[in-house]
Amino acid sequence: MRAQTNAAALVSQVLTGEVWPPLSDRHGYRVGPDGQPFVLPGMGGMTLGVHCGDPATGYASDHLEPGASVRHRDPRANMAVQYLTCVGNEVTVTSGPAAGASGHVIGQHAYVLVDFSPEASEQITTGDQVAIAATGQGLRLAEHPEITVKNCSPGLIEAMPGGTTADGRLQVHVAARVPAEAIGAGVGMISEYANTDLMGAYAGLGEDLSLGLEGLRVGDIVALEDADHRYGRGYRAGYLTIGVISTGQCMLFGHGPGPSSLLSGPAGAFELVDDPAANLASWYHEGASK
Amino acid sequence: MTGSDLRGVAVNLRGVAVNLLGVVEHPCIDASPYRIDADGAPYLPVGDGGLVLGVTLGDSVFAVSGDHVAPGACLVHPDDAARHALLLYSCIGNKAEVRTGPARGAAGAVIGKRGESGRLIVGFDPGDLARMRPGDEVSVRGFGQGARPAWLPDVVTSMNIDPELLAALPVTATDSGVQVSVRSVIPSRLAGNGLGRPAAAWDLDLQLAASTAGGSGGSSPRASTDAPLLLGDLVAITDIDARYNMGYRRNWVTIGVIVHGASPLPGHGPGMTVILTGPDSALLAAEDGASHTGLTASMLMR
Repeated sequence: MRAQTNAAALVSQVLTGEVWPPLSDRHGYRVGPDGQPFVLPGMGGMTLGVHCGDPATGYASDHLEPGASVRHRDPRANMAVQYLTCVGNEVTVTSGPAAGASGHVIGQHAYVLVDFSPEASEQITTGDQVAIAATGQGLRLAEHPEITVKNCSPGLIEAMPGGTTADGRLQVHVAARVPAEAIGAGVGMISEYANTDLMGAYAGLGEDLSLGLEGLRVGDIVALEDADHRYGRGYRAGYLTIGVISTGQCMLFGHGPGPSSLLSGPAGAFELVDDPAANLASWYHEGASK
Repeated sequence: MTGSDLRGVAVNLRGVAVNLLGVVEHPCIDASPYRIDADGAPYLPVGDGGLVLGVTLGDSVFAVSGDHVAPGACLVHPDDAARHALLLYSCIGNKAEVRTGPARGAAGAVIGKRGESGRLIVGFDPGDLARMRPGDEVSVRGFGQGARPAWLPDVVTSMNIDPELLAALPVTATDSGVQVSVRSVIPSRLAGNGLGRPAAAWDLDLQLAASTAGGSGGSSPRASTDAPLLLGDLVAITDIDARYNMGYRRNWVTIGVIVHGASPLPGHGPGMTVILTGPDSALLAAEDGASHTGLTASMLMR
């Protein structure tokens, strides 16, 4: 049974932003787990060739942000873009050769991350303006008061398989389960800001670093064990957080592919179903936002 | 230390000291002052930086009602890059001296550091601290980064600690490596804010709450502890490598000094400034519980 929501009571707010350039400094290098210096692209700008459903790791990249990295030029307006934009929201390009193309939000990082079709992506570059139809904050699940909804558009909840079970739990399909040991940078931050990096997903590096998370894909719905993201991101035994992998490969130690937070509550309020198809790519297609 | 190992400065290279300038921080609070605790209750942060009276090394991290409360004065610098350098180059045990204001001439010593924008925690005699004001300038004799005691195994990295003070802490060279007495050994899943950040400038919060600080609204408690945890205690965290940024590495151990108290924020808690990190085959943490003595005021003000 579909979970009932208060979607009809939510408003949409129109936000704007622009594709923000990748940033660096004159020293360039950052440091990997074994002290490897590296200079690698991935964060900011328009990153090509990685979309929902593609592997999250295995790239020569750091802090890989798939698709367009969007922010607002005014710092406080940018916070509104961070906090009010939800996964699944529709984004429309409003300037440049890709004007009119639409994509969807896959999560937040330092920017709002937007997946567009490969064809549209080719035409988008730094400085291109976008409009976001922001809706989702304030979303509640009427039958699941213990579960807090975060950063989740009503359309995404509608599209995800699962729903309210006969015994009153919320069934959620997940592509992976993540142990508490994997939680890295991003712990302690507000749940509506950026995401939680997962360690143990350093593809091609040592066994001593692996927590078995090298198989994650961009857009995967994952379950974070013993994680309470209701009021920020922290450890709480017996709690569960459902997230969506919105960023990929990292070389910087203590970082990694990261889920943006979607749902959080006591583990007993959820029923998890392991399902490799639990990925945004199953519900959102090229340029078609729900 | 071999010539090919560039991770630290070889023992035969002479360390240099630098005089750094810090300014006693004034607390800053946004126009909307409330933070939200792990159980969803709004609170007003008290004692988060600045100059805090009545809290000293040896106090329980859960003793006061505050947020990240540190024992002494937090130093900052108005220039961000200079503020980061103040953090990076200062080490626990470094001497400090008040340069301006009614407490001019008072001597203190570095207790630890806090990350993000960066705060250097400096302890003073309570009488001197009471005469100090936000804005007072404090000179810090930064020394210790890059120093490597000769007895430290090559695979163990030290940082953020004045070499003389390291020798005074319960750290012992053994045939198989180095053994450290700690208050407790904590699993990596309780590591909080600080993961993914450079340990030379950023502390690692431990997601611990007092066992009596149960959740409101019927929610389950956060990770709790009945064991005492005191400011100045040495603690070990397993499976965390802190040589560069801090992160998960199996069979590794990181040891730090508890430099500030608990926090109501999710993902935060008592913070440790890292002093040693290495494989658990060479860096051995001995959990001494109630009999442990870590960094004390008398040791610091030696």
